[in-house]
Amino acid sequence: MVLASAIDTTQALAGAVERAKASVVQVRVGRGGVGTGIIWPASRAAGQSSLILTNAHVVIFAGDVDIVTADGRIFSAALLASDGMLDLALLGVNAALPAAEVGDSQRLRVGELAFAIGNPWGQANVVTAGVISGLGRLPQSMRNLPYIRTDVRLAPGNSGGPLLNASGQVIGINAMILGGDLGIAIPSHIADAWLAERLGRAPAR
Amino acid sequence: MSDNPLLALSRAMADAVEMIGKSLVMVNGRPRQPATGIAYEADLVLTADHVLEREDKLTVQTYDGRVLNAQIVGRDASTDLAVLRVSGLSVPVVGPAAQARVGQLALAVARPSPEGVMASLGVVSKVGGPLRAGRGTSLERYIQTDAVPYPGFSGGALVDASGAPFGLFTTGFGRGLAIAIPMALALQVAQTLTRQGYVKRGYLGIISQQVKLPPAQRSGGQESGLLVVRVEENSPAERGGMLIGDILLAVEEQPIRDADDLIAALSGDRVGKPVTVRIIRGGVLQTLTVVVGQKP
Repeated sequence: MVLASAIDTTQALAGAVERAKASVVQVRVGRGGVGTGIIWPASRAAGQSSLILTNAHVVIFAGDVDIVTADGRIFSAALLASDGMLDLALLGVNAALPAAEVGDSQRLRVGELAFAIGNPWGQANVVTAGVISGLGRLPQSMRNLPYIRTDVRLAPGNSGGPLLNASGQVIGINAMILGGDLGIAIPSHIADAWLAERLGRAPAR
Repeated sequence: MSDNPLLALSRAMADAVEMIGKSLVMVNGRPRQPATGIAYEADLVLTADHVLEREDKLTVQTYDGRVLNAQIVGRDASTDLAVLRVSGLSVPVVGPAAQARVGQLALAVARPSPEGVMASLGVVSKVGGPLRAGRGTSLERYIQTDAVPYPGFSGGALVDASGAPFGLFTTGFGRGLAIAIPMALALQVAQTLTRQGYVKRGYLGIISQQVKLPPAQRSGGQESGLLVVRVEENSPAERGGMLIGDILLAVEEQPIRDADDLIAALSGDRVGKPVTVRIIRGGVLQTLTVVVGQKP
């Protein structure tokens, strides 16, 4: 293997962040509540609308929901669907927005690089990095669904934002923090399957 | 594919975790949270002493899901190390150790649950020593990291980006410190534990506190010594004639400026041997001979 310099490696991380950032939005609810959302790839046949995935806990009971794009545009969003158990919600926006590239979360490896883009404590577009710390499964009562553990530093406001791999692809939706330092993310293939079911189409993966 | 150096690094780290992960076992030695151990020889596992809250009914679980009985070969609370014997362990043992340099990438890798290996990323934050953390704990050298120590990570490995172990990961030295005991040091203690079950540590039987020496009694730049405030009954110190009020200056001509110096002077190879102890008593320099005991 050709060894790349540390500079090349960090430049590559900066590049991946730059590319991924365009598909990450701020989700604003009520008075000052902030979460994060991901512009999800979907067919735009029906009226140039874009779909945004976020956490259910960010938007349910919220009333009006606005999203703010990376380039500062504000749109009002409609809540199309939500699932409290999966902690997922689907928003629709009447604009053509750049969708994220979704990676394969069924083949994650512990130790691989991961990073998050989000709005921790309401601060816009903050990037944090770490690794995939572990792969777990929820109890039987929650359908044995897989979830991702990560040491990427997350905070309230990161909720609904992307966990990305070294190629800048979305591999998870950041959902919660355990014990102050363990991030929990919903694998992107679980989110995509849920979304596909809602839209009545085959999953992207 | 290799045009993305970030992807190459990411794969290397995942490979490192996968490789070391096969040498890591889950250790069941306390009621709730299991911990981790490192297979370092056929049938032998190195773990952290503080995660063994009982001495019997110990089991380990291997990377391929086998649950095996384990026996304690030896344990040493002062370095927070213990060795377990596991018949039929048959997992890959750790490869050669890596030399830690401050700033290097470091992965803490552990097996805290049957769900598989876990990892956190950081750097080598400090390479230092000695570390004295109270309750008699003491490490000659240690490696500090900012990788997150999740529950059950004690007894795991801190490895470099190629999976070579810097050392055995533990939080047993308290104060929220996540440290690794350098592999060479850990293996040296392990060897002693497999030979005799415990680590010899010298002992005098005094309680002392550091005091400044009067200017007239300073020599060779030594500005402090240890004032003896208590001598235990039937201790090596009492048998050697040490008294409350003596100021301890040197053991075998090694200056004793503080408690750390005394711990260093009472190394295991001096147990059972007579040593010369230089003291000040009533303002007068004296030399006693004390036979070093084994720390109870």
